[in-house]
Amino acid sequence: MNVMQVAGLLQGVVAGGSPDPKQEVLGGYASDLLSDVMANAVEGDVWVTLQKHVNIVAVAKLKGLAAIVIVNGRTPEPDTLARAEAEGIPVVSTPLTAFEAVGILYGAGVKGRRAP
Amino acid sequence: MHVHTCLSPCSELEMHPAALVKAAVDAGLDAVAVCDHNSAENLAAAVRAGARSGLAVLPGMEVTSEEEVHILALLPDLEAAQVLQSKVYQNLPGTNDPNLFGMQVVANEDEEVLGFNEHLLSGATALSVEAVVAAIHKAGGLAVAAHVDRERFGLIGQLGLIPEGLPLDALEVSANAQLNVARTRFAPSGEYALLCSSDAHEPKDVGKAVTFMLLEEPNPAEVRKALAGAEGRAVLGGGRPMEDLALHILDIAQNGVEAGATLVEIGLNEDPLKDLLTIEVKDNGRGMNEETAARALDPFFTTRTTRKVGMGLPMLAAAARAAGGNFQLASEPGKGTALKASFQFSHIDRAPVGDLETTLLVLFAGHPDVEIRFKHAVCGEDYEVSTGDLRAALDGAVLASPEGLAFTREVVRRGEKALSEARAKALGGP
Repeated sequence: MNVMQVAGLLQGVVAGGSPDPKQEVLGGYASDLLSDVMANAVEGDVWVTLQKHVNIVAVAKLKGLAAIVIVNGRTPEPDTLARAEAEGIPVVSTPLTAFEAVGILYGAGVKGRRAP
Repeated sequence: MHVHTCLSPCSELEMHPAALVKAAVDAGLDAVAVCDHNSAENLAAAVRAGARSGLAVLPGMEVTSEEEVHILALLPDLEAAQVLQSKVYQNLPGTNDPNLFGMQVVANEDEEVLGFNEHLLSGATALSVEAVVAAIHKAGGLAVAAHVDRERFGLIGQLGLIPEGLPLDALEVSANAQLNVARTRFAPSGEYALLCSSDAHEPKDVGKAVTFMLLEEPNPAEVRKALAGAEGRAVLGGGRPMEDLALHILDIAQNGVEAGATLVEIGLNEDPLKDLLTIEVKDNGRGMNEETAARALDPFFTTRTTRKVGMGLPMLAAAARAAGGNFQLASEPGKGTALKASFQFSHIDRAPVGDLETTLLVLFAGHPDVEIRFKHAVCGEDYEVSTGDLRAALDGAVLASPEGLAFTREVVRRGEKALSEARAKALGGP
């Protein structure tokens, strides 16, 4: 599954960060505590969060995440989108809640993985 | 620099403004910054209660950002607090349910309840951290990232790292953190001033962690200068007076100075191989007779006027015994006092050493006329620093000046760094 397909499943839009259709989403992680994401997300994960601060892009870049999904229809800050564009981190915005988004992705085969 | 009153939903009713002030005076503090969650409604009462007891109460607020990051505002006056409060209330959704989140009691300085705050003070504002910092600065305040060592509600826990370009005036660490460890982690090159706070929500926790500053007097304008390191004001350090051995040493050395000593010698010896840690402090002050020396170990006895309970010696004796060690006190009127406390180095209850840099800066800058000699040894390696050596090296500059403080810091950091390598080696670490 690629990031455009993730956005489609979640009735969302790619708000920024121009995704590469060839890049596969390898797993998923959900958390709103960025230090926790830094500790436990795995490279290639799609990350589901309600945080929209610019630091989410820095964390995603650091961990090599496939995309960030911002839930609850929250609009990312303009500098978050600018940074996402610059760093090449796709940001998907969805009207769904985190619970619904994770449920749909899990049902579609995106599983959680443990950091090695 | 960060305490709450009963207005904070997570605080107890017993933390009314007068009780907070009493607890702070009992703990020997010169000032507290009252920072209730997202509200300033108990500030005026706290300031008035402080004025009655000679305690400086600095106006503050702990604002919750949209990302659930707590940012402290240290404000110049009550009007600025009103300005910030309006901005916060405009952006704070929800109504409090006292059964779920706790009562939010507005009280006066006479222990009377004036009413209850209806806002959801435990909630988050709709303001990003950047907007909170901007609102604090617009109100004329200082913005301090609260308890950065805590995962929950701390800036780094919530947002992974300090956002680039966020104009913070300082970072605060909680009473769970040792300042020397926190400094290495958060401000290794002095990027931020670090404040230590109790974050007390009940009277017994007031003074659990403290910050030492070099100020003309404790007021918001002076604190601003100290955080900026301007005009000779400075943040000297901090820690946990009841816990860190470094602050026990500071307390005892200051007892010596108060007893008229012109020479105070301090030795700290860590020997993990012999499983021993000893502290020795010797002064040539006026000393005590046998009866007074015996009473000095009674927690309810003190010759001080500034503090109601002299916790220094009894606390240190208890800490030593709790860690499989012992405590000896020898004193002679007219000659001075010598004490030795020993601890089993590896004992699970052995108190941490804490931040010696704080101890030495407060001693050297606070008592420039007393010759203070400090020696720290770890497994045969050691360094020494003394008033005389510093003064000679500084070539006339005053110890309490920015140059004096910077030089002292450098000497201590260099010494401590060499010892931490020796310690790691002895413990078989990296």
